[in-house]
This record gives sequence, structure tokens and C-alpha cells, in this order.
Amino acid sequence: MKLRILLPILVVLYGLVPFLFGGNNYIMSILVASLTIAGIALAWALLGNLGGMVSFGHAAFFGVGAYISALLTMKLGVPIFWAMLAGGVGSAIASIAILPALRLSGPYFALAILAYAHIFRVLATEFSGITGGAGGLLGIPVLPTVLGYSFSSKVGGYLVIITIIVIFAFIYDRIRNSYYGFALKAMHESEDATRVVGVHSTMLKAMMLFLSAFMTGVIGAFNSHYINFLEPDYAFNSGWTMLPVVAAIFGGYRTLTGPLVGAVVIYTVDQLFFKNYIPSGHQIILGALLGVMILFSPDGLMPLITKKLRWRRQVKASPSPSQETETI
Amino acid sequence: MFNLILQSLYSGLLSGGYFALIALGLALVFGTMKVINLAHGEMVLLAAYMAYVMESKLGLNPLMAIPLALVVACLVSVTVYFLVSRIGKNRELNSLILTFGIGIILTNAMLIVWSADIHSTAVAAFQEPVALGPLFSMKSELAFFGVSMALVGVLWWWLSRSWYGRALRAVSSNRDAAKLMGINPYRTEIVSFVVAGVLASVAGVALYCTNVIQPALGGSLTTKAFIITVLAGVGSIPGVLIGAVLIGVVEALTVTLFSSALQEFTSMALFLLVLFVLPNGLFGGARRRG
Repeated sequence: MKLRILLPILVVLYGLVPFLFGGNNYIMSILVASLTIAGIALAWALLGNLGGMVSFGHAAFFGVGAYISALLTMKLGVPIFWAMLAGGVGSAIASIAILPALRLSGPYFALAILAYAHIFRVLATEFSGITGGAGGLLGIPVLPTVLGYSFSSKVGGYLVIITIIVIFAFIYDRIRNSYYGFALKAMHESEDATRVVGVHSTMLKAMMLFLSAFMTGVIGAFNSHYINFLEPDYAFNSGWTMLPVVAAIFGGYRTLTGPLVGAVVIYTVDQLFFKNYIPSGHQIILGALLGVMILFSPDGLMPLITKKLRWRRQVKASPSPSQETETI
Repeated sequence: MFNLILQSLYSGLLSGGYFALIALGLALVFGTMKVINLAHGEMVLLAAYMAYVMESKLGLNPLMAIPLALVVACLVSVTVYFLVSRIGKNRELNSLILTFGIGIILTNAMLIVWSADIHSTAVAAFQEPVALGPLFSMKSELAFFGVSMALVGVLWWWLSRSWYGRALRAVSSNRDAAKLMGINPYRTEIVSFVVAGVLASVAGVALYCTNVIQPALGGSLTTKAFIITVLAGVGSIPGVLIGAVLIGVVEALTVTLFSSALQEFTSMALFLLVLFVLPNGLFGGARRRG
């Protein structure tokens, strides 16, 4: 992304948003929660877009990262930011268990990882000696004070999660535009043909899986230090899979900004409106949204918007837009 | 101890009956359209709730709900078909996300209408114990095992002997060739969804009569059905039957030998193991997946 676009965005994210809403704890907490979903949605979309794999198991990576980081800080006193990193690494290591499923194509991978996610919830409940079992972990250390600034407040939490997301988005962008990004893109067209020209496709897919798991794990770790509480049904809740899927599909999982914008919009609207009208079962609207998106605009909303903007610009620029739009 | 193990083998066998019905519905649809219906478990659960409504609101025997459940499950199933067939590109993955969404809709609709409470049948006749030598079961378990086996038998006959059954197998092995032979693939696909609905409705009523139901159950039913299909290898009815009984037995044994919390764990672990070691399933042919 060009600096000309990037700089104003960063100014808004780091300056304007905390300045405008920093005083309002309610708005900030919704924002942080929606950005947590946004982070997972980004990781999910990375796997879906670059790796070509649909995952219904990201709750597992989220939960594993959360538990590892929480336990490291509580039992061993590891500094929190290092523990969060370790949580990500732990999730990536946990994803090794699903590697054999990479041989399976399409639906089989999606369902294998669904089953895989269930396993971790059961494990977290059963190994109660370490994880506290169904009772959960209480009093997980809050985000630390760095250079005199305490990140334990809502605004502090916001700054941490937004930094994580900016870094992840940067990594995603670099990979997408690298040699590996092109190789992965070619794999969508034909995996066999790509293999023939010397791309180790399984290795690349595995790398994307590791990276996606790592990102989700770090987000999970952040969340555990932000809310200071964990239990298996919360950490491995299927909502951590469902919301990001809806967000990514809604925003457009083939774009970088789509999942992020999608998550913030979906989560905010869900919390502010749907939840008020339908207290239990408000996710019915998310399900409907998912269906409508797949049927009418499987590429999501962001590509639709940007296409329209570009088209308009082109109408102004050139007298014959119909030829120009073909080449985009 | 030996008796306990024998008893759990027996209980597992009986619950394998309706597992098989659920799995066969899923496998049938997957065979004809290469679509995994992630809302399949929710459909079964919806049928179970019809039985609950019949018993609690109208005061009738839950068995009377079968016609109602048939209508509801088939309607949902056909709706899923029409929605899935509207997907233009990349149907294999997009249908997965679409049916995932339908599953969310159904789960939450059930949550809204019937709340998150756990329900089970109150008909005493269903819960009467039946002794078979040293082994015990509820009357309803035994009865529904019989019904399930009969239904599987009918399905097997239908698939192998009837015109539609053969058309269905033809479409599932080569859609274009089947079309050239004068088979309408669309109609055949609808039929497969309807049959899946029929199986789901009977399975749902069986679920209600032998077990407890709650809205969150749908997802795990789908997963279980999928596990059985993978164990069986696609396209084998005896395989599905054995896979279903295997899952039933493994879960029952886990509860007896370890704890009920690990019940899901062992079947998932078994599933991943089979998927990795024998990707064509225990009884599947040499066909490569995907």
C-alpha cells in the first residue's frame, strides 16, 4: 500500500479514534472486541485467500493461544508480550496436528479442522490440573505498563490490538506481493500445474496454515490478558470461528481490508442492534447474512465498493469506460 | 466389568441405528451433488423438535409427529437444494459456507422458538427397560434400532433396484453421461435431497424418543454424520452402517471406561486417525479423494 494512503489511515487509527472515543468505555470495549474478531478474520482470510482453504476450526487456534499465554504469565511469570508471542507460536505448533489434512482437498480439510477444534475444547476441560478445567482461569495478568503508560485500560487495549492488526496486515500484504504470493495465486488456478513448475505446494500451504494459526493464537492471547478470564467453553467457543467467517465473507476474503472492515461493521451492528431486538438467537441474522453474501456477492462487499469507485473514476478520466473496466 | 463392556457394546450398537440414518442422508447428498450439507444435523434436530411439539403442545404420542417432521425436514432439505444450486462459482467450498450459514439460521431459530432448555420425552412406555439376556435397553432404543435397520434396508433396495435409485447412482458417478442417457440430473438431485430429508425426519424423532435434545446439538450431529461417512468411505451403505455402529460403540465404551466428557474426543480422534491413515475410509474403494 502506498504511503499516501497508509499515513492518513494510521493517523486516524492511532490519533483520531482514541481522541474521539477514548473517554467512552462502552464504545472502546465494543471497538476492542470487534478488532479482536477482525484479527481472527484477517488470519482466516489469509488461509482462505492465499492458502485456498476454508477453515471451521480457528476457535482452536484462538483458544490454544489464549491458554498458553495465560498459563505462561500466571505459572511462570513470563512477561506478557513475550507470552503472547509464545501463545502464537504454540498455536502454530498445535496446527502441526492438522498438517496431514492438507493432503485432503476442499471440503475434507474444512471438516477435518472442524473435528480438530472440538478436540482442544475437550482437552482443556479434561486437563483441569493445568488449565483449571471447566472452572476456568481467574485473574490472568492485565496488559503491562510500558514506559510509564499502562496498557491495561480500554484505550491501552485498543492500542495493543490495533498495533497487532497493523503488523499482521503488513505481513499479509508483503506475502501477497512476494514470490510466494504469486505461487499461491497460481495454485488456485491449478495446483498440479504449479507443482510441475517447481513450487512445493504442500509446503506453501503448510506455511500459510502456520502463519494463520500463529496470528489467531496471538489474538487469542491478547484477548485473555484483556478480559483476564478464561474457560474452555469461552476460549474454544464456536463463535470465534463463526464471527470471523461471517466478517471475512461479508467484507470480501480476497481483499486485505475486507475482513477488517467487515468485522468491525458486523460486530458493532450485532452488538448494538441485533442483540437488543433478539436477546438470544441474534446470530440468526449473521447466518442469513452469510447465506445472502454467498448467493449474491461471494466476493464480499469491499470489492463491490472499490469496483464502483474505480469505475466512476474511469468514467471521468476516459470517454470509453467499457473497454477500461475490462482490464482491471 | 466384562458385563459393563458388553452392555456398552450393546448400547452403542443400538444408537448406531439412527446415526446411520443421519449419515446416509449426508452421504446421499454428497454423492449426487458433491455438497456437504453442514445444516444436516440441524435438520435432524428440527424433526426432533417437531416430535417435542407434538408431545408437549398437542399431548399426542411423539411418533405421531413423523408425518409433520417429514414435511418440515423435506421442505428444509429442498430449500437447501435450491439455494445451493444457485451458487455460481466454486460450488464445493461456497456451498460449505452457505450451508454453514443455514445451520446458524436453523440453530438460532430453534433457540428463539424453543429456548436453550433441554427436552426429552415423558412417555413412560418408551423408557421401559427391555432385557436381552444380561443386556438392557430402553424399549424405544430397541424399537428405533429396528426401524432404522428396516429403513436402511429399504434404502439399499431403492438405490440398487429402483429406477430412481439407479438414476441417482448414475448421476453421482458421471453427471454428464447420465444426462445423455435421458436422466434429468436436477430432478435426481432434488430426489436425493428429499430422501435425505425423509431419513433425517425419522432420525430426528428417534433422537427425541431415545435421547435429550437442545438447540446446540445440531452441529455435533453433522460432525458425527460426517465422521461416519468418512469412516465408511463414500458410496457404501454397509460401510455407513458399520461406521455408525463403530462410532456408537466407541462413544459408549469411552463413557464406560473413561468419562462422558471424553465421548466426543475419542470419536474425533478416531476420525482424524482414519482420515490420515486411510483417506479412502475403512470400506471405500481405491478412489482418490478430491
